[in-house]
Amino acid sequence: MTAAQAAALPVLQLEQVARRRAGRVAVQDLGLALAPGQVLGLLGVNGAGKSTTLAMIAGALRPDSGAIRLNGEDFLEQPELARRLIGWLPERAPVWPELTVTEHLDAHGRLRGLRGAELRAAREAIVARLELQPLARRLAGALSQGQRQRLGLACALLHRPALLVLDEPANALDPVQVGALRKLIREQAKAGTAVILSTHVLVEVTAVCDRVAILHEGRLRYEGPVRGDDHAALERRFFEIAMQARAA
Amino acid sequence: MSLAAMFRMEVRRLRVQPLAWVLLALSLAWLGWCFTRLLGDFLAGEIKRAALPDSPGYVDLVAVPLLGQLAQLAFLVVPLLAMSTLAGERRNGTLPLLFAAGLPASRIVLGKYFALLLWLLLWLALTLAMPLSLAHATTPDWGKLAAATLGMALMLAALAALTVAASAFTTHPAIAAVLGLLIGLALWTVNLGAQMAGLNDGAINWLAMSTHEQNLLRGLVSTADILWFVLLIAVCLALATRRLAADKERG
Repeated sequence: MTAAQAAALPVLQLEQVARRRAGRVAVQDLGLALAPGQVLGLLGVNGAGKSTTLAMIAGALRPDSGAIRLNGEDFLEQPELARRLIGWLPERAPVWPELTVTEHLDAHGRLRGLRGAELRAAREAIVARLELQPLARRLAGALSQGQRQRLGLACALLHRPALLVLDEPANALDPVQVGALRKLIREQAKAGTAVILSTHVLVEVTAVCDRVAILHEGRLRYEGPVRGDDHAALERRFFEIAMQARAA
Repeated sequence: MSLAAMFRMEVRRLRVQPLAWVLLALSLAWLGWCFTRLLGDFLAGEIKRAALPDSPGYVDLVAVPLLGQLAQLAFLVVPLLAMSTLAGERRNGTLPLLFAAGLPASRIVLGKYFALLLWLLLWLALTLAMPLSLAHATTPDWGKLAAATLGMALMLAALAALTVAASAFTTHPAIAAVLGLLIGLALWTVNLGAQMAGLNDGAINWLAMSTHEQNLLRGLVSTADILWFVLLIAVCLALATRRLAADKERG
């Protein structure tokens, strides 16, 4: 593969991805593509399949069928690609309660292949960027949900992934932190990181996303660009899809 | 590399778990008391034994019985220590984080198992330090002590593997501990009925952990006994790995 071909490839490509969970269809025939520097918002009501989709993209869950490609390579055949390429913040940001914030970041860094000076530099940079210094020696189990969310975000960003997968990243954050999160996501996109985030909050999508995908009952119902000033149009479309599906 | 990262993280987590330290402190206090009692009995009977040819020595009367006490404690301590290895990850919701780091199930299981083993070997070393602290004042049978130590190390490793496997099948650490304890005890006593009936051979005796452990504690090292432990450990870790891999498939 030439450098030009590699540059033209989407970071993430989903082809006809399907997954059943607890005996019902969670995701069906899902196709998506995401280029470097793009921010895609994944919208949907509860149970639409957003978290399942993100867990499959992050490598935490195997699809039943379909293909997921990272930089053109089959991710399902090479799950180790996730190690350096993907940063994932799952819903509710789970933590190892016995580890301090610093130890958490070190453990995540090592699991993602960072070592020695590289790990220290990455940790210090992300601690400074997310203002985690006052929490550095605090046990993760003693953090508030908002602080856990910030720690989870730091872990996802630590190894400078090419694809950032954020599941409800604004959960439990105060309005100031939500503003800082939006700024951070835009910064990451500007630096070339592709970002996919799921949310219930429509304004979140219009504030930070370039594109939006609406999932309903596991199917992709709409995908298109987002114009920051067109919140009302997005809201109309979202409710149309939710109501149509309910009526059907 | 990821195995080392997993091992390191697990060692750190064990190091800050109060339960691990409480178990270590309580068990060592009990073993210390047992050691002084065994030593007292050994010294009291020294003159009588001097008159006997081939009388049992320091290792037979102090070190091996002390390791026997450790074996009894291990049935309780190992399940309590190992119960959270995988069940805790599942309960905290952190298992998907490990999968998402591209770690195969086998490395997650092995990283956690080796960390647990390190703690158990430290426990064994601290217990052995008691009889060894007086070894210079006597002439211990080093071969017998080495065989008994090997036997204890294998037994601890087998009980840890059993509980890790139990922990892979549940979300509740307490259930994993109970399963580890019950399966461990069942494996130890499976031949009790046969022995009471006077049968000292056969498949049922081969199946029992006590048969293999007691050989090693007596100083008899045989490949068959070592293989029994290795086989049990391998089966348990393979089961845990399989269950964890299925978790990723099932979600």
